[in-house]
Amino acid sequence: MAEDPLIRVRGLVKSFQGVRALDGVDFEVARGEVVVVIGQSGSGKSTLIRCLNGLVEPDDGEILVGGTAVDTHSQREWRLLRQRIGMVFQDYSLFPHLTVLRNITLAPIRTGRASPAEAEALARELLARVLLPEKADAYPGELSGGQQQRVAIARALAMRPEVMLFDEPTSALDPETIQEVLDLMRSLARDGMTMVIVSHEMGFAREVADRVVFIDRGRVVETGPPVAIFRDAREERTRAFLAKIL
Amino acid sequence: MQLLLDNAHVFLGGIIQTFQLAVATLACATVVAVLIGVTSVLPFAWARLVALCYVEIFRDIPLLVTMLFVYFGAPLLGVPLSPYWAALISLTLWGGANGAEIVRGGINAVPRHQTVSAVALGLKRWEIFRYIVLPQALLPIVPPFTGLFSNLVQATTLASLVGVTEFFRIGNIIVERTTIQEGHSPAFLVYGFVLLTYFVICSLLTGLSRRLERSLQNRGGRVVRVAVKPTESV
Ligand SMILES: Nc1ncnc2c1ncn2[C@@H]1O[C@H](COP(=O)(O)OP(=O)(O)O)[C@@H](O)[C@H]1O
Ligand SMILES: [Mg+2]
Repeated sequence: MAEDPLIRVRGLVKSFQGVRALDGVDFEVARGEVVVVIGQSGSGKSTLIRCLNGLVEPDDGEILVGGTAVDTHSQREWRLLRQRIGMVFQDYSLFPHLTVLRNITLAPIRTGRASPAEAEALARELLARVLLPEKADAYPGELSGGQQQRVAIARALAMRPEVMLFDEPTSALDPETIQEVLDLMRSLARDGMTMVIVSHEMGFAREVADRVVFIDRGRVVETGPPVAIFRDAREERTRAFLAKIL
Repeated sequence: MQLLLDNAHVFLGGIIQTFQLAVATLACATVVAVLIGVTSVLPFAWARLVALCYVEIFRDIPLLVTMLFVYFGAPLLGVPLSPYWAALISLTLWGGANGAEIVRGGINAVPRHQTVSAVALGLKRWEIFRYIVLPQALLPIVPPFTGLFSNLVQATTLASLVGVTEFFRIGNIIVERTTIQEGHSPAFLVYGFVLLTYFVICSLLTGLSRRLERSLQNRGGRVVRVAVKPTESV
Protein backbone atom coordinates (compact mmCIF):
# COMPACT_ATOMS: atom_id res chain seq x y z
CA MET A 1 0.00 0.00 0.00
CA ALA A 2 1.34 3.42 -0.93
CA GLU A 3 2.04 5.80 1.92
CA ASP A 4 -0.59 8.48 2.61
CA PRO A 5 0.47 11.89 1.32
CA LEU A 6 1.76 14.10 4.12
CA ILE A 7 -0.81 16.74 3.24
CA ARG A 8 -3.93 16.17 1.16
CA VAL A 9 -6.50 18.81 0.40
CA ARG A 10 -9.82 18.18 -1.33
CA GLY A 11 -12.41 20.61 -2.64
CA LEU A 12 -11.07 23.56 -0.70
CA VAL A 13 -13.25 26.67 -0.96
CA LYS A 14 -12.65 30.06 0.60
CA SER A 15 -14.41 33.36 -0.10
CA PHE A 16 -13.53 36.82 1.16
CA GLN A 17 -16.54 39.13 1.06
CA GLY A 18 -18.07 37.21 -1.82
CA VAL A 19 -14.80 36.94 -3.74
CA ARG A 20 -13.75 33.32 -4.25
CA ALA A 21 -10.06 33.15 -3.38
CA LEU A 22 -10.14 29.33 -3.52
CA ASP A 23 -12.68 27.68 -5.75
CA GLY A 24 -12.46 23.95 -5.14
CA VAL A 25 -8.76 23.18 -4.84
CA ASP A 26 -7.39 19.63 -4.77
CA PHE A 27 -3.77 19.44 -3.77
CA GLU A 28 -1.35 17.03 -2.19
CA VAL A 29 2.21 16.81 -1.01
CA ALA A 30 4.05 13.54 -0.52
CA ARG A 31 6.65 13.06 2.18
CA GLY A 32 10.00 14.36 0.92
CA GLU A 33 8.42 16.13 -2.04
CA VAL A 34 9.18 19.72 -3.05
CA VAL A 35 6.13 21.41 -4.57
CA VAL A 36 6.39 24.89 -6.05
CA VAL A 37 3.12 26.79 -6.44
CA ILE A 38 3.05 29.43 -9.16
CA GLY A 39 0.40 31.80 -10.43
CA GLN A 40 -0.47 35.46 -10.84
CA SER A 41 -0.77 37.79 -7.92
CA GLY A 42 -4.27 37.44 -6.46
CA SER A 43 -4.78 33.92 -7.80
CA GLY A 44 -5.11 32.40 -4.31
CA LYS A 45 -1.60 31.04 -3.63
CA SER A 46 -1.26 32.63 -0.19
CA THR A 47 -4.78 31.66 0.78
CA LEU A 48 -4.06 28.05 -0.14
CA ILE A 49 -0.76 27.84 1.74
CA ARG A 50 -2.30 29.57 4.78
CA CYS A 51 -5.09 27.00 4.82
CA LEU A 52 -2.43 24.32 5.18
CA ASN A 53 -1.53 25.50 8.68
CA GLY A 54 -4.87 26.89 9.76
CA LEU A 55 -4.10 30.60 9.43
CA VAL A 56 -7.05 30.76 7.06
CA GLU A 57 -10.17 28.77 7.84
CA PRO A 58 -11.70 27.35 4.66
CA ASP A 59 -15.45 27.60 4.07
CA ASP A 60 -15.60 24.12 2.65
CA GLY A 61 -13.42 21.16 1.77
CA GLU A 62 -11.23 18.83 3.76
CA ILE A 63 -7.62 18.79 4.81
CA LEU A 64 -5.78 15.63 5.84
CA VAL A 65 -2.41 15.70 7.52
CA GLY A 66 -0.58 12.39 7.64
CA GLY A 67 -3.79 10.68 6.56
CA THR A 68 -5.87 12.12 9.40
CA ALA A 69 -8.65 14.59 8.70
CA VAL A 70 -8.21 17.95 10.46
CA ASP A 71 -11.14 19.67 12.12
CA THR A 72 -10.48 22.90 10.26
CA HIS A 73 -12.56 24.91 12.74
CA SER A 74 -10.60 23.84 15.78
CA GLN A 75 -7.81 26.32 16.49
CA ARG A 76 -6.60 24.01 19.24
CA GLU A 77 -6.07 21.20 16.79
CA TRP A 78 -4.30 23.56 14.40
CA ARG A 79 -2.06 24.84 17.15
CA LEU A 80 -0.75 21.35 17.76
CA LEU A 81 -0.40 20.69 14.03
CA ARG A 82 1.56 23.90 13.54
CA GLN A 83 4.29 22.37 15.67
CA ARG A 84 4.74 19.90 12.79
CA ILE A 85 4.23 22.40 9.94
CA GLY A 86 6.76 25.22 9.71
CA MET A 87 5.98 28.43 7.87
CA VAL A 88 8.12 31.23 6.47
CA PHE A 89 6.52 34.49 5.35
CA GLN A 90 7.44 37.08 2.80
CA ASP A 91 8.04 39.78 5.40
CA TYR A 92 10.22 37.51 7.61
CA SER A 93 8.62 38.90 10.81
CA LEU A 94 11.32 38.12 13.33
CA PHE A 95 10.49 39.33 16.82
CA PRO A 96 12.44 42.61 17.02
CA HIS A 97 12.68 42.69 20.82
CA LEU A 98 14.34 39.28 21.08
CA THR A 99 17.87 38.25 20.12
CA VAL A 100 18.33 35.94 17.18
CA LEU A 101 18.96 33.04 19.55
CA ARG A 102 15.82 33.77 21.55
CA ASN A 103 13.78 34.13 18.36
CA ILE A 104 14.78 30.59 17.50
CA THR A 105 14.47 28.98 20.94
CA LEU A 106 11.21 30.59 22.11
CA ALA A 107 8.75 28.25 20.39
CA PRO A 108 10.58 24.95 21.01
CA ILE A 109 10.87 25.82 24.71
CA ARG A 110 7.32 27.13 25.16
CA THR A 111 5.72 24.21 23.36
CA GLY A 112 7.79 21.73 25.31
CA ARG A 113 9.54 20.38 22.21
CA ALA A 114 12.91 20.92 23.87
CA SER A 115 14.52 21.87 27.17
CA PRO A 116 16.20 25.28 27.19
CA ALA A 117 19.62 23.66 26.87
CA GLU A 118 18.54 21.42 24.00
CA ALA A 119 16.81 24.32 22.27
CA GLU A 120 19.91 26.48 22.51
CA ALA A 121 22.17 23.72 21.21
CA LEU A 122 19.82 23.13 18.29
CA ALA A 123 19.54 26.87 17.62
CA ARG A 124 23.32 27.22 17.39
CA GLU A 125 23.46 24.22 15.11
CA LEU A 126 20.79 25.77 12.87
CA LEU A 127 22.53 29.15 12.88
CA ALA A 128 25.64 27.41 11.61
CA ARG A 129 23.51 25.73 9.00
CA VAL A 130 22.08 29.05 7.77
CA LEU A 131 25.62 30.46 7.83
CA LEU A 132 25.03 32.98 10.61
CA PRO A 133 26.80 31.36 13.58
CA GLU A 134 28.14 34.69 14.83
CA LYS A 135 24.73 36.38 14.97
CA ALA A 136 23.24 34.49 17.94
CA ASP A 137 23.23 37.53 20.21
CA ALA A 138 22.37 40.12 17.58
CA TYR A 139 18.93 41.70 17.34
CA PRO A 140 16.96 41.32 14.09
CA GLY A 141 17.28 45.04 13.37
CA GLU A 142 21.04 44.61 13.00
CA LEU A 143 20.67 42.07 10.18
CA SER A 144 20.09 42.48 6.45
CA GLY A 145 16.82 41.30 4.93
CA GLY A 146 18.38 38.13 3.59
CA GLN A 147 19.98 37.36 6.94
CA GLN A 148 16.67 37.93 8.72
CA GLN A 149 14.92 35.58 6.34
CA ARG A 150 17.57 32.91 6.97
CA VAL A 151 16.99 33.32 10.71
CA ALA A 152 13.24 33.03 10.11
CA ILE A 153 13.90 29.74 8.32
CA ALA A 154 16.09 28.56 11.20
CA ARG A 155 13.32 29.58 13.63
CA ALA A 156 10.82 27.41 11.77
CA LEU A 157 13.28 24.52 11.50
CA ALA A 158 13.89 24.61 15.25
CA MET A 159 10.49 23.01 15.74
CA ARG A 160 11.77 20.05 13.70
CA PRO A 161 8.77 20.27 11.38
CA GLU A 162 7.76 17.51 8.99
CA VAL A 163 6.98 20.02 6.27
CA MET A 164 7.94 23.63 5.57
CA LEU A 165 5.63 26.15 3.90
CA PHE A 166 7.18 29.17 2.19
CA ASP A 167 5.04 32.08 1.00
CA GLU A 168 7.16 34.10 -1.45
CA PRO A 169 10.19 34.00 0.83
CA THR A 170 12.33 36.19 -1.44
CA SER A 171 9.80 38.70 -2.73
CA ALA A 172 10.59 41.35 -0.12
CA LEU A 173 14.36 41.00 -0.38
CA ASP A 174 16.99 43.09 -2.12
CA PRO A 175 18.17 41.35 -5.32
CA GLU A 176 21.66 40.79 -3.89
CA THR A 177 20.37 38.81 -0.90
CA ILE A 178 17.84 36.67 -2.76
CA GLN A 179 20.43 34.09 -3.77
CA GLU A 180 21.58 33.34 -0.22
CA VAL A 181 18.00 32.47 0.76
CA LEU A 182 17.44 30.39 -2.36
CA ASP A 183 20.73 28.57 -1.72
CA LEU A 184 19.56 27.69 1.76
CA MET A 185 16.25 26.37 0.45
CA ARG A 186 18.11 24.33 -2.17
CA SER A 187 20.17 22.71 0.54
CA LEU A 188 17.00 21.91 2.54
CA ALA A 189 15.53 20.29 -0.56
CA ARG A 190 18.69 18.21 -1.03
CA ASP A 191 18.39 17.00 2.56
CA GLY A 192 14.95 15.65 1.82
CA MET A 193 12.80 18.27 3.59
CA THR A 194 9.18 18.27 2.45
CA MET A 195 8.42 21.76 1.16
CA VAL A 196 5.59 23.76 -0.34
CA ILE A 197 6.96 26.94 -1.87
CA VAL A 198 5.04 29.82 -3.39
CA SER A 199 7.55 31.59 -5.59
CA HIS A 200 8.03 33.77 -8.63
CA GLU A 201 11.62 32.55 -9.04
CA MET A 202 11.09 30.33 -12.06
CA GLY A 203 14.74 29.30 -12.46
CA PHE A 204 14.74 28.16 -8.86
CA ALA A 205 11.42 26.35 -9.31
CA ARG A 206 12.68 24.48 -12.34
CA GLU A 207 15.75 23.41 -10.40
CA VAL A 208 14.37 22.28 -7.02
CA ALA A 209 10.73 21.37 -7.66
CA ASP A 210 9.64 17.78 -7.89
CA ARG A 211 6.31 19.13 -8.99
CA VAL A 212 4.97 22.52 -10.06
CA VAL A 213 1.36 23.54 -9.43
CA PHE A 214 -0.11 26.37 -11.47
CA ILE A 215 -3.04 28.17 -9.85
CA ASP A 216 -5.35 30.65 -11.54
CA ARG A 217 -8.45 32.30 -10.08
CA GLY A 218 -8.59 29.97 -7.12
CA ARG A 219 -8.28 26.75 -9.11
CA VAL A 220 -5.45 24.38 -9.86
CA VAL A 221 -5.14 24.64 -13.62
CA GLU A 222 -2.25 22.31 -14.18
CA THR A 223 0.30 20.33 -12.22
CA GLY A 224 3.32 18.27 -13.22
CA PRO A 225 7.09 18.00 -13.13
CA PRO A 226 8.90 21.25 -13.93
CA VAL A 227 10.07 20.09 -17.35
CA ALA A 228 6.53 19.31 -18.40
CA ILE A 229 5.11 22.59 -17.11
CA PHE A 230 7.88 24.92 -18.25
CA ARG A 231 8.58 23.27 -21.61
CA ASP A 232 5.21 22.08 -22.82
CA ALA A 233 2.29 23.07 -20.67
CA ARG A 234 -0.97 21.56 -21.86
CA GLU A 235 -3.22 24.44 -20.76
CA GLU A 236 -3.38 27.69 -22.68
CA ARG A 237 -3.64 29.70 -19.45
CA THR A 238 -0.43 28.18 -18.10
CA ARG A 239 1.42 28.98 -21.32
CA ALA A 240 0.10 32.56 -21.26
CA PHE A 241 1.26 33.04 -17.65
CA LEU A 242 4.70 31.58 -18.33
CA ALA A 243 5.12 33.62 -21.52
CA LYS A 244 4.51 36.75 -19.49
CA ILE A 245 6.83 35.93 -16.61
CA LEU A 246 9.77 34.20 -18.35
CA MET B 1 12.10 83.02 53.09
CA GLN B 2 11.96 82.96 56.84
CA LEU B 3 8.29 82.15 56.50
CA LEU B 4 9.08 79.02 54.47
CA LEU B 5 11.69 77.89 56.97
CA ASP B 6 9.40 78.56 59.95
CA ASN B 7 6.76 76.37 58.42
CA ALA B 8 9.17 73.72 57.17
CA HIS B 9 7.66 70.93 59.25
CA VAL B 10 4.13 71.83 58.13
CA PHE B 11 5.19 71.87 54.49
CA LEU B 12 6.97 68.61 55.00
CA GLY B 13 3.76 67.06 56.32
CA GLY B 14 1.98 68.28 53.20
CA ILE B 15 4.68 66.99 50.89
CA ILE B 16 4.55 63.59 52.55
CA GLN B 17 0.76 63.49 52.21
CA THR B 18 1.01 64.51 48.54
CA PHE B 19 3.72 61.99 47.96
CA GLN B 20 1.72 59.20 49.57
CA LEU B 21 -1.34 60.08 47.56
CA ALA B 22 0.65 60.38 44.32
CA VAL B 23 2.49 57.08 44.74
CA ALA B 24 -0.70 55.22 45.70
CA THR B 25 -2.54 56.83 42.79
CA LEU B 26 0.15 55.99 40.25
CA ALA B 27 0.32 52.38 41.44
CA CYS B 28 -3.45 51.84 41.51
CA ALA B 29 -4.08 53.72 38.26
CA THR B 30 -1.39 51.67 36.51
CA VAL B 31 -2.93 48.40 37.65
CA VAL B 32 -6.39 49.51 36.53
CA ALA B 33 -4.99 50.86 33.24
CA VAL B 34 -3.29 47.57 32.40
CA LEU B 35 -6.34 45.50 33.37
CA ILE B 36 -8.80 47.63 31.42
CA GLY B 37 -6.40 48.18 28.51
CA VAL B 38 -5.88 44.45 28.10
CA THR B 39 -9.62 43.83 28.48
CA SER B 40 -10.22 46.25 25.63
CA VAL B 41 -8.27 44.06 23.18
CA LEU B 42 -9.62 40.67 24.29
CA PRO B 43 -11.29 38.59 21.59
CA PHE B 44 -14.65 38.78 23.38
CA ALA B 45 -17.10 41.48 22.37
CA TRP B 46 -18.66 41.79 25.84
CA ALA B 47 -15.25 42.33 27.45
CA ARG B 48 -14.38 45.04 24.97
CA LEU B 49 -17.75 46.69 25.60
CA VAL B 50 -17.21 46.77 29.37
CA ALA B 51 -13.76 48.31 28.90
CA LEU B 52 -15.06 50.83 26.39
CA CYS B 53 -17.86 51.97 28.72
CA TYR B 54 -15.48 52.35 31.64
CA VAL B 55 -12.98 54.35 29.62
CA GLU B 56 -15.55 56.63 28.02
CA ILE B 57 -17.38 57.36 31.27
CA PHE B 58 -14.36 58.30 33.36
CA ARG B 59 -12.53 60.17 30.63
CA ASP B 60 -15.58 62.26 29.86
CA ILE B 61 -16.49 63.29 33.41
CA PRO B 62 -14.25 66.03 34.86
CA LEU B 63 -12.05 64.58 37.56
CA LEU B 64 -13.27 67.11 40.11
CA VAL B 65 -16.88 66.04 39.56
CA THR B 66 -15.94 62.39 40.00
CA MET B 67 -14.08 63.23 43.17
CA LEU B 68 -16.97 65.17 44.73
CA PHE B 69 -19.38 62.46 43.60
CA VAL B 70 -17.31 59.72 45.24
CA TYR B 71 -16.75 61.74 48.42
CA PHE B 72 -20.36 62.79 48.93
CA GLY B 73 -21.93 59.75 47.27
CA ALA B 74 -20.18 57.05 49.27
CA PRO B 75 -21.90 57.85 52.60
CA LEU B 76 -25.28 57.49 50.85
CA LEU B 77 -24.27 53.94 49.99
CA GLY B 78 -23.38 53.39 53.64
CA VAL B 79 -19.62 53.50 53.14
CA PRO B 80 -18.38 56.87 54.32
CA LEU B 81 -14.93 57.55 52.90
CA SER B 82 -12.17 59.67 54.35
CA PRO B 83 -11.11 62.52 52.06
CA TYR B 84 -7.88 60.66 51.36
CA TRP B 85 -9.67 57.52 50.17
CA ALA B 86 -12.21 59.46 48.15
CA ALA B 87 -9.34 61.26 46.43
CA LEU B 88 -7.38 58.06 45.83
CA ILE B 89 -10.37 56.24 44.38
CA SER B 90 -11.41 59.00 42.04
CA LEU B 91 -7.85 59.68 40.87
CA THR B 92 -7.48 55.96 40.20
CA LEU B 93 -10.73 55.81 38.24
CA TRP B 94 -9.71 58.75 36.10
CA GLY B 95 -6.05 57.76 35.68
CA GLY B 96 -7.06 54.17 34.98
CA ALA B 97 -9.38 55.22 32.18
CA ASN B 98 -6.77 57.43 30.52
CA GLY B 99 -4.04 54.86 31.07
CA ALA B 100 -6.18 52.09 29.59
CA GLU B 101 -6.44 54.11 26.39
CA ILE B 102 -2.64 54.36 26.26
CA VAL B 103 -2.17 50.65 26.94
CA ARG B 104 -4.68 49.80 24.21
CA GLY B 105 -2.87 52.08 21.76
CA GLY B 106 0.46 50.44 22.59
CA ILE B 107 -0.91 46.94 22.09
CA ASN B 108 -2.58 47.87 18.82
CA ALA B 109 0.65 49.43 17.58
CA VAL B 110 2.33 46.02 17.50
CA PRO B 111 2.15 44.98 13.84
CA ARG B 112 -0.31 42.22 13.04
CA HIS B 113 2.29 40.05 11.28
CA GLN B 114 4.07 39.66 14.62
CA THR B 115 1.06 37.84 16.02
CA VAL B 116 0.57 35.85 12.84
CA SER B 117 4.13 34.53 12.82
CA ALA B 118 3.84 33.63 16.50
CA VAL B 119 0.61 31.77 15.78
CA ALA B 120 2.36 29.93 12.95
CA LEU B 121 4.99 28.73 15.44
CA GLY B 122 2.31 26.95 17.44
CA LEU B 123 2.34 29.30 20.45
CA LYS B 124 -0.75 29.70 22.62
CA ARG B 125 -2.69 32.93 22.73
CA TRP B 126 -1.52 33.95 26.19
CA GLU B 127 2.07 33.08 25.31
CA ILE B 128 1.87 35.30 22.24
CA PHE B 129 0.52 38.12 24.37
CA ARG B 130 3.08 37.64 27.11
CA TYR B 131 6.22 37.08 25.02
CA ILE B 132 5.54 38.86 21.75
CA VAL B 133 2.90 41.57 22.08
CA LEU B 134 3.35 42.95 25.60
CA PRO B 135 7.13 43.55 25.44
CA GLN B 136 6.73 45.37 22.13
CA ALA B 137 3.82 47.43 23.43
CA LEU B 138 5.85 48.62 26.41
CA LEU B 139 8.25 51.00 24.68
CA PRO B 140 5.70 53.18 22.88
CA ILE B 141 3.62 53.29 26.06
CA VAL B 142 6.34 54.86 28.20
CA PRO B 143 6.26 58.48 26.97
CA PRO B 144 2.46 58.96 27.06
CA PHE B 145 2.33 57.18 30.38
CA THR B 146 4.85 59.62 31.83
CA GLY B 147 2.61 62.42 30.67
CA LEU B 148 -0.27 60.76 32.47
CA PHE B 149 1.79 60.31 35.65
CA SER B 150 2.67 63.95 35.52
CA ASN B 151 -1.00 64.87 35.12
CA LEU B 152 -1.92 62.64 38.02
CA VAL B 153 0.65 64.20 40.33
CA GLN B 154 -0.73 67.61 39.41
CA ALA B 155 -4.27 66.34 39.86
CA THR B 156 -3.58 65.35 43.46
CA THR B 157 -3.96 69.07 44.23
CA LEU B 158 -7.69 68.61 43.60
CA ALA B 159 -7.79 66.42 46.69
CA SER B 160 -7.51 69.62 48.74
CA LEU B 161 -11.07 70.41 47.68
CA VAL B 162 -12.46 67.42 49.54
CA GLY B 163 -10.23 68.28 52.48
CA VAL B 164 -7.05 66.24 52.14
CA THR B 165 -4.29 68.22 53.81
CA GLU B 166 -1.84 67.66 51.01
CA PHE B 167 0.93 69.99 49.94
CA PHE B 168 -1.16 72.47 47.99
CA ARG B 169 -3.72 72.82 50.77
CA ILE B 170 -0.94 73.39 53.31
CA GLY B 171 0.26 76.23 51.11
CA ASN B 172 -3.27 77.61 51.11
CA ILE B 173 -3.58 77.41 54.87
CA ILE B 174 -0.27 79.13 55.45
CA VAL B 175 -1.12 81.94 53.09
CA GLU B 176 -4.44 82.55 54.82
CA ARG B 177 -3.05 82.30 58.33
CA THR B 178 -0.19 84.69 57.63
CA THR B 179 -2.50 87.15 55.95
CA ILE B 180 -4.76 87.24 58.98
CA GLN B 181 -2.00 87.31 61.57
CA GLU B 182 0.42 89.71 59.92
CA GLY B 183 -1.80 91.73 57.62
CA HIS B 184 0.13 91.05 54.43
CA SER B 185 -0.21 88.19 51.98
CA PRO B 186 2.76 85.92 51.24
CA ALA B 187 0.78 84.33 48.40
CA PHE B 188 3.39 84.97 45.73
CA LEU B 189 6.19 83.46 47.75
CA VAL B 190 4.27 80.43 49.00
CA TYR B 191 2.62 79.54 45.70
CA GLY B 192 5.94 80.10 43.96
CA PHE B 193 7.44 77.53 46.28
CA VAL B 194 4.53 75.15 45.69
CA LEU B 195 4.85 75.58 41.93
CA LEU B 196 8.57 74.89 42.03
CA THR B 197 8.05 71.73 44.05
CA TYR B 198 5.51 70.27 41.60
CA PHE B 199 7.76 71.24 38.74
CA VAL B 200 10.68 69.37 40.28
CA ILE B 201 8.62 66.24 40.95
CA CYS B 202 7.25 66.11 37.42
CA SER B 203 10.67 66.79 35.88
CA LEU B 204 12.08 63.91 37.88
CA LEU B 205 9.34 61.69 36.52
CA THR B 206 10.11 62.73 32.96
CA GLY B 207 13.82 62.15 33.49
CA LEU B 208 13.15 58.68 34.87
CA SER B 209 10.97 57.80 31.92
CA ARG B 210 13.66 58.91 29.45
CA ARG B 211 16.07 56.53 31.12
CA LEU B 212 13.56 53.69 31.07
CA GLU B 213 12.89 54.36 27.41
CA ARG B 214 16.60 54.29 26.60
CA SER B 215 17.17 51.07 28.46
CA LEU B 216 14.23 49.44 26.66
CA GLN B 217 15.65 50.64 23.35
CA ASN B 218 19.07 49.29 24.20
CA ARG B 219 17.50 45.92 24.78
CA GLY B 220 16.39 45.76 21.17
CA GLY B 221 13.22 47.75 21.46
CA ARG B 222 11.98 49.62 18.50
CA VAL B 223 10.08 52.84 18.46
CA VAL B 224 6.61 52.45 17.03
CA ARG B 225 4.24 55.36 16.89
CA VAL B 226 1.19 54.97 19.04
CA ALA B 227 -2.03 56.54 17.99
CA VAL B 228 -3.49 57.70 21.28
CA LYS B 229 -5.29 60.89 21.89
CA PRO B 230 -3.16 62.96 24.25
CA THR B 231 -4.57 62.83 27.76
CA GLU B 232 -6.75 65.80 28.33
CA SER B 233 -5.54 67.93 31.16
CA VAL B 234 -7.58 68.01 34.34
N1 LIG C 1 -7.76 38.59 4.37
C1 LIG C 1 -8.34 38.85 3.18
N2 LIG C 1 -9.43 39.66 3.13
C2 LIG C 1 -10.04 39.94 1.96
N3 LIG C 1 -9.64 39.46 0.79
C3 LIG C 1 -8.57 38.65 0.77
C4 LIG C 1 -7.88 38.32 1.97
N4 LIG C 1 -6.85 37.49 1.63
C5 LIG C 1 -6.92 37.32 0.30
N5 LIG C 1 -7.94 38.01 -0.23
C6 LIG C 1 -8.33 38.04 -1.65
O1 LIG C 1 -8.31 36.71 -2.12
C7 LIG C 1 -7.71 36.65 -3.40
C8 LIG C 1 -6.50 35.73 -3.38
O2 LIG C 1 -5.48 36.34 -2.61
P1 LIG C 1 -4.09 35.64 -2.27
O3 LIG C 1 -4.37 34.26 -1.80
O4 LIG C 1 -3.36 36.53 -1.36
O5 LIG C 1 -3.40 35.60 -3.69
P2 LIG C 1 -1.88 35.44 -4.07
O6 LIG C 1 -1.12 35.00 -2.86
O7 LIG C 1 -1.85 34.43 -5.15
O8 LIG C 1 -1.41 36.76 -4.56
C9 LIG C 1 -7.39 38.07 -3.79
O9 LIG C 1 -8.47 38.55 -4.58
C10 LIG C 1 -7.33 38.80 -2.49
O10 LIG C 1 -7.72 40.14 -2.65
MG1 LIG D 1 0.49 36.00 -1.86
